[in-house]
Amino acid sequence: MTAQGQRWASLVALGLAFAGLYVRVLSAPSPGGFAPAQTPARSASTAAPRYETQLLPNSTAASVHSAAAAEISGGRLRAFWYGGSREGASDVSIYTSVYSLREKNWSPERAVVTREFAQRHLRRYVRKLGNPVVGRDSKGRLCLYFVSVSVGGWAGSAVNLMVSEDEGESWSPPRRLIASPFFNISTLVKGAPLLFSDGAVGLPVYHELLGKFGELLRLDAEGHAIGKTRLSWGQSSLQPVIVPRSGKEAVGFMRYAGNPPNRILLVRTEDGGVHWSPPVKTALPNPNAAIGSVLLSGGPLLLVFNNAEEDRENLSLALSTDFGSTWRIAHRFEGDSGSTQAPVREYSYPWIMQDRTGDVHVLYTWGRSRIKHVRFNRAWLEGRR
Amino acid sequence: MSVNTTFGLLGCGLLGLAVVATVMPLGRLPVRVRYALMLAAALLVFVPFGELSIAACVRGVTGDLSAATLVLAGAACFTQVTARVLIGHRDKRALCWLLALAAAFLYPFALGWTPFDPYALGYGSIEFVTALLLVTFAAWWAGLDLIVFVIVAAALAYLAGAYESRNLWDTLIDPLVALYAMVRLLAAAAVSRSP
Repeated sequence: MTAQGQRWASLVALGLAFAGLYVRVLSAPSPGGFAPAQTPARSASTAAPRYETQLLPNSTAASVHSAAAAEISGGRLRAFWYGGSREGASDVSIYTSVYSLREKNWSPERAVVTREFAQRHLRRYVRKLGNPVVGRDSKGRLCLYFVSVSVGGWAGSAVNLMVSEDEGESWSPPRRLIASPFFNISTLVKGAPLLFSDGAVGLPVYHELLGKFGELLRLDAEGHAIGKTRLSWGQSSLQPVIVPRSGKEAVGFMRYAGNPPNRILLVRTEDGGVHWSPPVKTALPNPNAAIGSVLLSGGPLLLVFNNAEEDRENLSLALSTDFGSTWRIAHRFEGDSGSTQAPVREYSYPWIMQDRTGDVHVLYTWGRSRIKHVRFNRAWLEGRR
Repeated sequence: MSVNTTFGLLGCGLLGLAVVATVMPLGRLPVRVRYALMLAAALLVFVPFGELSIAACVRGVTGDLSAATLVLAGAACFTQVTARVLIGHRDKRALCWLLALAAAFLYPFALGWTPFDPYALGYGSIEFVTALLLVTFAAWWAGLDLIVFVIVAAALAYLAGAYESRNLWDTLIDPLVALYAMVRLLAAAAVSRSP
């Protein structure tokens, strides 16, 4: 081919490639709003107040942290957390256990992801494992997202996805989510996934490399990141938790890692997560610790947080009847002088959810040695209001 | 093994081969020995020791490599083995400038220093695709064939779903090639200023 011919051939290739790009971009569905939440049965306010606690099984790990849970079929919850000889150790695995809502007991834990398992299936070196979160995709499958690190500390993290079609008995091999252009590192999870009305999954993530900020990833049915929106920027916000109220409206909370006063950060959207308000400090303190939040069916909005600016000893429940504008402390889970104390007085990383019967479940790290489960009903909550 | 995984491992292995080919003084050896050494290097890079190959270890750190890296790595291997130059000086310098500018635009903002996130544009922004089209057409007009080749290859790989990522930026640029471009430009500037 002559030089002139090569030149025109490259122009044709250029035209075809960009025609393909335009078709891809223009045919992509525009983002929908948030999917309506499944409405749990509102338990009768005449029911007796009920508040129960128990520690989840832990037969092997000296250190456990960062629990997450989802309701599964048969009136059960399935919880996940990570545990090992210490946080960040190479022997850390992700464990799971199942809770029967009727029998009120947890099954013995079993490891669902080990470092070696992740490394083998991801076909890349994995140094350690971290936070798991769990949710469902638009097909109703259970999706487990977990953090792994190949190099460095938590700032070198990436997020991986495993999918289960049998409520967590068996899992697909893990697949890495690509969410950052910088070697795809420094993406972590802590907040619960949510669903968009177009079937995409919204996964709240945060980054810790040089900056600390939150984002909401959009994942397609195969778990590929297909979009994202920045929730904050700078160096002081992480671990976003997003709570939708309608198709367009949601509130988000973030852990604060900046200069005093140390307060929980709040963001809002009124267009289905396309745009978010700049983060503002709430009146609630935050000792650079994770937060859990859920909007109960029919309200109110609940928030579990460490009610102090400096330590993680006081874990409390706050409620808001105006979707996050004002708060009232309803209960202190841990830190009272009368309660049984953990060897290490850290009560942190809460996960809160409501089951289909209307009961509320809170799981959190109890002294780094166990995961604690608190279950209460609406009658108990209404007695605290 | 999925297409994405295979493509990613091949890319990281190709980078490993390019490093080997560049570091070793292949030019002094007979052609057959060069091919034999590259074959041995390929086995070293791709065959797993225990659970993982060297390519898999590299991929664990770097992720999938962009089309720019793969084209430059492939050209380096070709040149070292055959002693034939594939990429001209002008073409390579123009690509380095484009990569350095793109990196300066992408990475600082992607680290979360402002509300603006250029990386999000790579998920399907008509403005981003149009800007890329204008850059590519300008390069074609100026006869900068390497830039055209890299961008077209990146676009085709994106459309074919060859990458784990569904973000167009990841097929165009990665931090390694951005660093390479900046170092090369700085070195060229230093040489031109020396008496």
